[in-house]
Amino acid sequence: MSHFMLLLHENPEMWKSASPEEMQKAIEKYYAWTKLPIVVDSKRLAAEPGKVLRSSGGQTHLSDGPYSETKEVLGGYYTIEAADYQEAIARAMGHPHLEYGGTIEVRETWKPS
Amino acid sequence: METVLTETAAPALEHLFRRQAGRMVSHFTRLLGPAYLNLAEDAVQEAMLRALQTWQFAGMPENAVAWLYRTAHNVAIDAIRRNRLFDEKSEGIVAALYRSAATSPTDPDCDEQLRDDELRMIILCCHPALTRSASVALSLKTVGGFSVREIARAFLADETAIAQRLVRAKRQIRESPLNFEMPRAAELQDRLLSVLDVIYFMFNEGYSAHEGKDLIRTDLCMEALRLGRLVASSSMSTPTADALVALIALQAARLRARVDDVGDLVQLESQDRSLWDQKLISMGFHYFDRSMTGDQISEYHVQAAIAATHARALNGRLADWPSILRLYDQLFAINPSPIVVLNRAVAMSKAEGPAAALAAIEGLDRESKLGGYHLLLAVRGHFLEELGRHPEAAACFRAALECPCSEPEQRFLWRKLRGLIGPPPL
Repeated sequence: MSHFMLLLHENPEMWKSASPEEMQKAIEKYYAWTKLPIVVDSKRLAAEPGKVLRSSGGQTHLSDGPYSETKEVLGGYYTIEAADYQEAIARAMGHPHLEYGGTIEVRETWKPS
Repeated sequence: METVLTETAAPALEHLFRRQAGRMVSHFTRLLGPAYLNLAEDAVQEAMLRALQTWQFAGMPENAVAWLYRTAHNVAIDAIRRNRLFDEKSEGIVAALYRSAATSPTDPDCDEQLRDDELRMIILCCHPALTRSASVALSLKTVGGFSVREIARAFLADETAIAQRLVRAKRQIRESPLNFEMPRAAELQDRLLSVLDVIYFMFNEGYSAHEGKDLIRTDLCMEALRLGRLVASSSMSTPTADALVALIALQAARLRARVDDVGDLVQLESQDRSLWDQKLISMGFHYFDRSMTGDQISEYHVQAAIAATHARALNGRLADWPSILRLYDQLFAINPSPIVVLNRAVAMSKAEGPAAALAAIEGLDRESKLGGYHLLLAVRGHFLEELGRHPEAAACFRAALECPCSEPEQRFLWRKLRGLIGPPPL
């Protein structure tokens, strides 16, 4: 078994027209996903933009995020177990984030062979 | 996979967000004033969004309601300070928000205040300056916690049309906020009648638009019942309000039995009565008894009595049709509308036979707006069929099919037509 990270990117606009009922349903669906046996770890990232450290010419610069031009922000991540990419992707397909218009980046964590 | 998860959710949490949204919007509208309805809605939406972002990973906490309530207060206070709203009144309003944030929404006193806020909100939404359809949409959006999309789906209406209706209504409120303050005691009884009218209309919208099995329409009916009970349990209640709740509960009890598994309509006499909701039936009878305390008989009283007579029958054929016919006579005396004439004729066909019933609707197509109404033609066709006048009956069902009607209704009419003329040639 390998470990895969599912990085949940979201557009803050995607919940704008959601009804209270839909938001509650979404919480229930997302939360149910964190309880799946394949999930090793899951974390929500705090809503603030975060900090970025950059080094150049021997100097380290600290700045506030965001660090990309896109409107999408990294909202949280999961670590899941899967045999290979194919399985990891098949699992990620069932994540409610996609249903609500979010983006999921799937990355395998490296391990020495 | 998804259904399993939602079914295991504790029943107390069902519609939790929707209910709380309605309560909180009502609450903030009282504290901020009707002109700031948008701010109230935005604060609540933002609190729910923050809850969503937190609880999607952590799960819903036990004190979810208190969390939402406190967060929405903070959002509102921040918005007032940031945008410098309310000028010199600002500090007073912020202080009131702090006081209200310090109470727990589940505390009995606070709970009572919140119920009262909901009541004020529905009274505001049913202001006579607003059209009835605007009142229904606004009630659902604010005190009901429904979204524009959900309201549009329930009404089988266009989303933009509903959104515009809401924008117009809110503009009216904003432009003359004083008119939208609570009515004085003397005017309260008049307002109660428009509130009941709006609730009844809301229920009928959900009840009569029976295309498919979209749950949102059941939700709409249940919201009408909830608002009706809210009003009926308040100090402004009258036996007429009780009668309306009785009527709604007794009719809502049949919601599940009215459409079969493939989405076809099931007529009252063929309904599987084990599907009738017994809890709603006893609730209906409870309110029906309460409605009998006054000396006034409203249209809701008579309609509730008709629904109660149906509910008492063990099956459709055993219904006490002569009593039902007498009740329709009474209803006609209060409201001599063509729809009542049509419904009365159906009762008459059961009590006195199709010939009398056919005579009762004679001329209705010419004298009223029911001319191109599919149900009038369908009912007429049904009477003619019972009289053995099959070609005329078939002509009626054909004409009914030409009128606008829902898909299940069309299938129903086709079945009737095929029963008369046989299957279509291959």
